[in-house]
Amino acid sequence: MIKLEDVCYVRLGTADLEMAEAFATGVLGLQVAERSRGALYLRSDDRAHTLCYSLGDPNEQAVGFEIGDEASLQEAAATLERLNHRVILGTREEAGKRKAKAFIAFDDPTGNRIELVVRPERSGKRYFPTRDCGITGFSHVGLNSTDPVRDEAFWTQVCNARVSDRIGDIPLMRVNAIHHTIALVRAPKPGLQHINHQVASSDDVMRSYYLLSEKQVPIVFGPGRHPTSGARFLYFKGPDGVVFEYSVGVDEIDDESKHRPRQFGFEPTSFCMWGAKPSGLALPNAAKD
Amino acid sequence: MTVASSPLAGLAYARIAASDPQESARFAEQIVGLMRAGESGGEIALRVDDRSRSLIFAAAIEPSLGLEAWDEAALDGSLSRLAKAGFSVRRASSGESRTRNAQAALLARDATGNAIDIVARPERSGRRFYGARDAGVQGFSSVGLRSTDIEGDLRFWRALGAEAADFVGEIAYLAIDAAHHRIAIHPSKGKGPLYLGFEVGGLDDVMRGHYFLAERQIKIVQGPGREPTSQQMFVRFLGPDGLVYAYAAGMARRGDRPRSPRQFALRAESLCDWGSRAEGVPELAALNEGALI
Repeated sequence: MIKLEDVCYVRLGTADLEMAEAFATGVLGLQVAERSRGALYLRSDDRAHTLCYSLGDPNEQAVGFEIGDEASLQEAAATLERLNHRVILGTREEAGKRKAKAFIAFDDPTGNRIELVVRPERSGKRYFPTRDCGITGFSHVGLNSTDPVRDEAFWTQVCNARVSDRIGDIPLMRVNAIHHTIALVRAPKPGLQHINHQVASSDDVMRSYYLLSEKQVPIVFGPGRHPTSGARFLYFKGPDGVVFEYSVGVDEIDDESKHRPRQFGFEPTSFCMWGAKPSGLALPNAAKD
Repeated sequence: MTVASSPLAGLAYARIAASDPQESARFAEQIVGLMRAGESGGEIALRVDDRSRSLIFAAAIEPSLGLEAWDEAALDGSLSRLAKAGFSVRRASSGESRTRNAQAALLARDATGNAIDIVARPERSGRRFYGARDAGVQGFSSVGLRSTDIEGDLRFWRALGAEAADFVGEIAYLAIDAAHHRIAIHPSKGKGPLYLGFEVGGLDDVMRGHYFLAERQIKIVQGPGREPTSQQMFVRFLGPDGLVYAYAAGMARRGDRPRSPRQFALRAESLCDWGSRAEGVPELAALNEGALI
């Protein structure tokens, strides 16, 4: 069992680092932690970085999950190899680029690049957003899945994820008390379906809705409220078509023994209880089987 | 305590002149989510809370705003204070009181000329309020009035014990109970009601309302937004005859300690913290600073 503690960063390739920085700071509101040859490190909370843009192919995306220690990392590598995943052992230099002690990389069954990370760095200096966006931290990711049932089994049986709720065949999965850290969304190919940052209040969600509309940032879903997690949300498009989300008020599941995943129908009101409709955000088709 | 010094207990009703009372009532019921309360003498009444009649449409009436007096004795004090301040005010006849569903009433006029009724013991209904749709309406929240004479209208409301909570430019938010405000007076070229605000359950209801209206292509004139002054979240939308309705939630309560009214500049950000802009209703917008619109 690979015990994921939390999601810790996203790495995105981009052909235009300048545009990525303008978006990440001026729109999203992250803080630049560091610019180094061909890479831009951004902060959203007390971690040294939670988003890294690097010069390269926008199809090169990776999500990092923190795991307990190096012994667990070795066990994880062995588990994955036994299951015929090709495991890449990160070099010291590559770990340095991730501001972590050590890491391994592999592809999940859909082909999403996943990195398991030991001791990702925190920063003593507090996070100060570039604009007054209210971000309190990087929180979860939506991952494309060519087969949500198969991938749910991977995340819940090979790893320690637990299903909190399902909408149709989309599982929302937690690795700690937070309602979900990973959402699997049916799609024809691998990719990051969205990247979530939590904000302090629903006021922040609404303020960003108007600010982003003014800046003509494509709003793809919301403002709305998920009936599953209870979070108020706003989804919008960043560089290279990557979708970001602000949300607030995600439920926490304190008592593991008492929680049973709820099933929601695959319909618009399961995604937004207020009545917002997605536009330009690929929501999956319902399971065909 | 300053709050109790007001002889007013709250908003009771609005009587609205409608070009097509049936259509106005249909909108109030089916779209706004109020409850039909009956029809008599050409007047169609709707309920918004436990009062028997709170929104009345008729073709040939003078629009008026009804406030509930604390008790019948409060009518006498209000009568003498308004008269002394030079405002037009008289006791309603028993027929006029009956029309207003009250035991007794004062019929007054603010400096602008808006008819303001102060009623004692407006009738309540034992049957609970059940809106025509799940809009979450709980009652009146606040009412906006057009004013051609802000100073004069302030004197009128102060004679009734109301207190200015805040100003945005010349817009005045007036408190009569523990809520930040129940009446807002907005500079205008004319008179009459500017908006009728209804309290709903919270942000969820405001936003559900927003999407419900947008789907039906009902013109949203302001919001969803949040007033930095009162903290209330709102969405304001256009009904028949240009009457603006609002859903509102989360209005700040006044503290125990009196505070002086705060002055905000007449700018969009003083009217909405989130960044919404009013459209199509000049009195709701921050246009020419300081000028009458």
